[in-house]
Amino acid sequence: MNRVLYARRRAVNGIFLALSTGAAAIGIIALVLILYALLKNGFGGLSAAVFTQNTPAPGSAGGLANAIFGSVLMSVAAVIVGTPIGMLAGTYLAEYGRHSWLAFVIRFVNDILLSAPSILIGLFVYELIVVRMGHFSAYAGIAALAVIVIPVVARSTENMLLLVPNTMREAAASIGAPRSIAIRAITWPAARAGIVTGVLLAVARISGETAPLLFTALNNQFWSADPNAPMASLPIVIYQFANSPYDDWHHLAWAGALIITVAVLGLSVFARLLESRQR
Amino acid sequence: MNDMTRVDRAIRIDVRNLEFFYGKAQALKGITVPLYDRKVTAFIGPSGCGKSTLLRVLNRIYELYPNQTAKGEVIFDGENILDGKVDLNLLRARVGMVFQKPTPFPMTIYDNIAFGMKLYERMPKSELDGRVEHALTRAALWNEVKDKLNESGLSLSGGQQQRLCIARTVATKPEVILLDEPCSALDPISTAKIEELIDELSNEYTIVMVTHNMQQASRASDYTAFMFLGELVEFGLTEQVFTAPANRRTEDYITGRFG
Repeated sequence: MNRVLYARRRAVNGIFLALSTGAAAIGIIALVLILYALLKNGFGGLSAAVFTQNTPAPGSAGGLANAIFGSVLMSVAAVIVGTPIGMLAGTYLAEYGRHSWLAFVIRFVNDILLSAPSILIGLFVYELIVVRMGHFSAYAGIAALAVIVIPVVARSTENMLLLVPNTMREAAASIGAPRSIAIRAITWPAARAGIVTGVLLAVARISGETAPLLFTALNNQFWSADPNAPMASLPIVIYQFANSPYDDWHHLAWAGALIITVAVLGLSVFARLLESRQR
Repeated sequence: MNDMTRVDRAIRIDVRNLEFFYGKAQALKGITVPLYDRKVTAFIGPSGCGKSTLLRVLNRIYELYPNQTAKGEVIFDGENILDGKVDLNLLRARVGMVFQKPTPFPMTIYDNIAFGMKLYERMPKSELDGRVEHALTRAALWNEVKDKLNESGLSLSGGQQQRLCIARTVATKPEVILLDEPCSALDPISTAKIEELIDELSNEYTIVMVTHNMQQASRASDYTAFMFLGELVEFGLTEQVFTAPANRRTEDYITGRFG
């Protein structure tokens, strides 16, 4: 045995271990600090009024009810619009077009869209809808969020369908099942948990998006359920309130941040549970 | 089983000069072989000889994948099924297939059987129930599953799953059944059950089977075809092929000298 070589390997091993542990520690410390600040300030700002009253004018008391409602409404509507499109696109990529050049192009574009800065999507919808309608609206906000949902769902649907063994497709074909029936009755159900997980991750992604809403749904200080009018949302209210000089608004911004984080965390845990149940 | 005196051996599928390519690689070279009506034909040969490929041409399942092409003729009911005009779904409903690994669908045992039947037929629930029971009975599975028809097909054991797949195939009333090494993933008891099943099904169906197991071929088939390197080396009555093979390579293979 070459002792020098061995000692050198041990040393390199030690350095490598220290570096990776350090990197992990930096990441975790940052996360813990963020969560600590969020929990400390967020719980301080939390009260029943947060859920029952609308966003206040400076100096007066209020809550986040209109923003919570707006966020939930726009997120849910965006998922309802974006999921079928994303699922069908993902299904095309995995089942019909798998080897075609068209699928190759779509996959490439989809990946770009997946990582596109969301403010660009906001501007795109602004040009497409807000300018033509002449005013900001929840419709435009929903459209912007849906555009974010589509690539996420398309990607996860494709990936999950690719995990379904080909023998399943062969088995379906071998009893004469046309492809569309085989997809609906066999490959979709086989990939169901994974596809649902993808949708939940998309929800988590859009529920914290600020930039695309800034140019589309804008904000609304009052309770509004009219999708044709501007609508409040948690991320925008947080952005606006955190930038303000008022303490009351700061407290509400923290509370809003906590609500989003807990909601996203809950969804992620739910998604993981679903995923693990499939395996 | 081997009714040597029968002269009217009707050909159910006539394979003529079949060539097959994976991309540019040729996997089958000029295969000509008759598949007789309501007989069991076994294809044997070493791995990679093209026997599974041949089977996959008979219902054109290979078309699920790109760059796989077949040339030649496969005459089924007077029609060349390699013709582009053939409706693939209808062809596959008539030529069923059971795979090496059991492939139950992710649905209940009942639905696994009913799914295929509902594709091409409309029938009242009572008739559907009857046909499901009949199919499971034919596959010697009914007694084991009759109390848990609503459980997932995936909950069954490997041997039961394979019999479920056979039941599923039988339920759609095909004319020909293709079996691609149906027992290779199964234990000897399940294998025996499935061989028994094959023997019984051969009264009604034309069966084409690929197997690695010499004993299985000799036990369960009426005709045997020996393939080697993409060519058909020998075809004949199973008894003949196993007791007095005409070709030296066949003899070497079945006596275990290579392969």
